Amino acid sequence: MTMVNITMNGQKISAPAGSNILQAAKQVGIDIPTLCDHPALVSIGACRICVVEVTGQRTLITACTFPITEGMEIQTESPQVVKARKLILDLLFSERNHYCPMCQMSGDCELQNLGYRYGIDHWIYPTYTKGFPVDASRKYFFMDHNRCVLCGRCERACGDLVANHTLGLRNRGASSMIHADANVPFGESTCISCGSCLQVCPTGALCDKRSAYMGRNIQTEHIKSTCNQCSIGCGMEIVTRGGNVLRIESDWDAEINAGLLCKNGRFDPLYEDRTRVTQPMIRIGGKLRPSSWDETLKTIAEKISGTNAKEIGVLTSSNSTNEALYLLGQLFCKELKATNVGLLNSAAPKLFDKPQGSLADIVKSDVILVAGTDPAKDQPVASFFVKHAVDRGAKLILVGGKDNGLAPFATMILADIGKAVEVAERAGSPVVLYGAGITEKGASALKKLQGKAAFVAIEPGVNTRAAVAFGFNNGFKASAAKVLYALLGEQGLESADVLKDVDKKAFVVVQASYVSPITEKADVVLPMAIWSERAGSLTNTEGRVQKVSKAVEPAGEAKSDWEIISLLANKLGKKLATSLDEISARATQELK
Amino acid sequence: MKAKAGNVDIDISKEFTPEQLKKLDEIIAKNKDKAGALIPVLEQAQGVLEFLPMPILKIIASGLNLPLSRVYGVVTFYSFFTMTPRGKHTMRVCLGTACYVRGGKAINDIIKKELKVEEGETTPDRLFTLETVRCVGACGLGPVIFVGENVHGRLKPAKVKDVISQYN
Repeated sequence: MTMVNITMNGQKISAPAGSNILQAAKQVGIDIPTLCDHPALVSIGACRICVVEVTGQRTLITACTFPITEGMEIQTESPQVVKARKLILDLLFSERNHYCPMCQMSGDCELQNLGYRYGIDHWIYPTYTKGFPVDASRKYFFMDHNRCVLCGRCERACGDLVANHTLGLRNRGASSMIHADANVPFGESTCISCGSCLQVCPTGALCDKRSAYMGRNIQTEHIKSTCNQCSIGCGMEIVTRGGNVLRIESDWDAEINAGLLCKNGRFDPLYEDRTRVTQPMIRIGGKLRPSSWDETLKTIAEKISGTNAKEIGVLTSSNSTNEALYLLGQLFCKELKATNVGLLNSAAPKLFDKPQGSLADIVKSDVILVAGTDPAKDQPVASFFVKHAVDRGAKLILVGGKDNGLAPFATMILADIGKAVEVAERAGSPVVLYGAGITEKGASALKKLQGKAAFVAIEPGVNTRAAVAFGFNNGFKASAAKVLYALLGEQGLESADVLKDVDKKAFVVVQASYVSPITEKADVVLPMAIWSERAGSLTNTEGRVQKVSKAVEPAGEAKSDWEIISLLANKLGKKLATSLDEISARATQELK
Repeated sequence: MKAKAGNVDIDISKEFTPEQLKKLDEIIAKNKDKAGALIPVLEQAQGVLEFLPMPILKIIASGLNLPLSRVYGVVTFYSFFTMTPRGKHTMRVCLGTACYVRGGKAINDIIKKELKVEEGETTPDRLFTLETVRCVGACGLGPVIFVGENVHGRLKPAKVKDVISQYN
C-alpha cells in the first residue's frame, strides 16, 4: 500500500494513498465533525461541517471528499475553520425545529452534539418560521421533517446501501424535503421498512416508534449478535436497558450484511405478541399443570427410557442453535438410536458436495438466476444484494411467476428453468440462487452451470443448514411416534396440523417459547428462551458459523434450547458435553 | 411551490394526442441506455407535452429504468420543469433590483389582476402562465416583461392591457 505523508494540526502522519482527509484524521484519532458523511455511505460534501484549512488552497475544503496528497498541511480546528462551522450550525439551527428538549434524540443527536462542541448557545437568526409535516404512516418509525437537516444520509442509505431507491430529495432551498417515490406517504410507498435510513439519521428526524424516549445511548448496552429470522445470518446489535430489549440495530462491522438489516430482522422480533411459555408443565388429569424442571425432565426421561427407539420421534424447528441441534442429534440419534427424526421446514436440495459460491458473489455477477426461492420476502438482505447487482447492470433471470418479490426487478421471468440456464451459460460470471422450491429436474438443469456459475443455496428457515448436517431432514413419520419430542422453539405454527397424524395416545413433549395450538395439546411443555435470551451459534446458508449472544435473562423459568436437551441427557444418564463452550466447539467441528 | 403539486388523476390519453405520446416513447427509446439522460429527456418531453404530470414521470422513470423518487426530485428541483399545464405563452415579469425600483411590482400586481392568476399559475383558457424572474439582464429597459421570447420594456401600468391583448 502506497503511503502519503501529511501534516495535520502540526502532527506528521502517513495514511494510505487515496484516503480523504477525514479518513486520514480518523486513523490518528483527530476528530473532524461530520453531518452528511457516514462511514458506510458515499461522501458528498453537502453539509460543509467537515471543512478544514489546507495550506495553499484558496478556500476551506470538505475533509470528507478531498483526497490527501504528499506534503499536504491541514488545520482541522483553526479559527477560520471554527468560524465557518459555527456559521453553518447557526444556519442549520435557524431552519426548522431544533428545540432539543422535546426530542427523544436529545443526547444522541449529532446536530445537538455539534451545537455543544461549538458553543451554539443562542440563535442568531430567526428560527422555525415554517412548519413541516410529520409522516408517521409507517408502522415502525416516523419521519418528522421539522428535525431534518437534509443531509441526505437516508436517501443514500436507501439507494446505495439497500438499492431500494424509495427516498429522494425534492424542491429546492428552504422548501427542500425528503420524499418517498413521487411524494406519497412513506407508508404507502415502495418503502420496505428495512430501517437503514433510521439507523443513519444524524438527528431525531427519523425515529423508532417503539424505543423512543426509552433511554439515551449512554444508558443502553449494545450486544453484538446474529439475527435469527432467516438463513442469511446478518450481524446485529441488541440494544438493551435494564434487562429489556429496546431495539435492534445493524452491525456495521458484520461481514455478511455490513450494516444492513431488513424489516423481518430489525422490527418484527420486537412486535411479538404471542404469549410466552414461562414454566415447565405436565398434563395431569387432562390438564396442563405447572411443575418443576426436575420433575418434568424426570417424567420425560422415564417415558423415553421405556420406549423402543423405533417409536421415538423427534421434530425440530430450524430456529434452534447449532448447540441444540448437535445435542439433539447426539442424544436421540446416537445415544438412543432414534431414526424417525425430522425438520419442520423443507431444505434446499444439496447440489454439490463442496461449496460453489457465497453471498458475496451476488454483487459481483453479471447474470443472476433465481429459482425456487423468494428472497425479497423471506431473506430480504439477500434481495438487497440482488438489487445492487441489478443497479450495476446485472441481468436478473427469475424462474417462476410474477408473484415473486423480485419480479419488478427481473430482466426476464421464465417458467422453464432450462431456458434460464441457457441464458446464464452465455454470461461472464453468473450466480445461481436456489431454494427449496426447485424440482429434481430443475436441480439437474442447474448443475449444467457447474464450474461456470457461483451457486448460493438460499435455505428456508433459519439454521436449516445445521439441522440438515446433523441429520434432521429424513422423512419424518408422525404416525410412527409413540413418544414425540418436538423442539418447536419460537416457530409459529398456525395450527396443530403437524401433529395431525400423531397417534392420539402418543406422549408429546414440546419445547417451545410461545403458547400455540401444539403446546395446548402436549403432554409436557418445556419453556424455551427466545433469540435475545440465549447464547450459542447459528450456521448461515453459506455454512458460516456465527455467534448469538444472550442479551437479557430468559422469561420466567425458560432455558436455552441446548441447555434443556443437555439437562434431559443428564436425566437419561447419557454423558454429553455440558458446558456451552465445549458443545459449541464440538458442534462447529462436526459442521466443518 | 403550490403550482408544482402534480395532478395524479390526470388522464394522459385525454390530455395528450397519440402523436405526442408516440414522440415521448421515441425520446425515451433514443436515450434509454445513456448515462445522464434524465434531464435532456425531461426537457424534450416537456417540449412535446408542454407539461409533465405524474403519469408521464412514471413512464419516463420506468422507461429510463430510474427510480421515480429521483425523477420527481429532479423535476421539482428545476423551475424550468412543470407538472401542471402551461399556458400557450409564458409571461415572465422581471422583479430584479432595477425593474423592481422602476415599478416592476406594480406591473406584476396589475397582470395578476388582469389575468386573475397568482404567480406560477396558468389562466383557465391556458393562454398565459405567469412567472416572475430575478433579472433578465435588460436593466436599461426596466421594468421589463417577457411574453414567450418577446421583450416588452419600459412598460407602464396603463400599457399592460395592450400587451396582453396582443396575444391570443
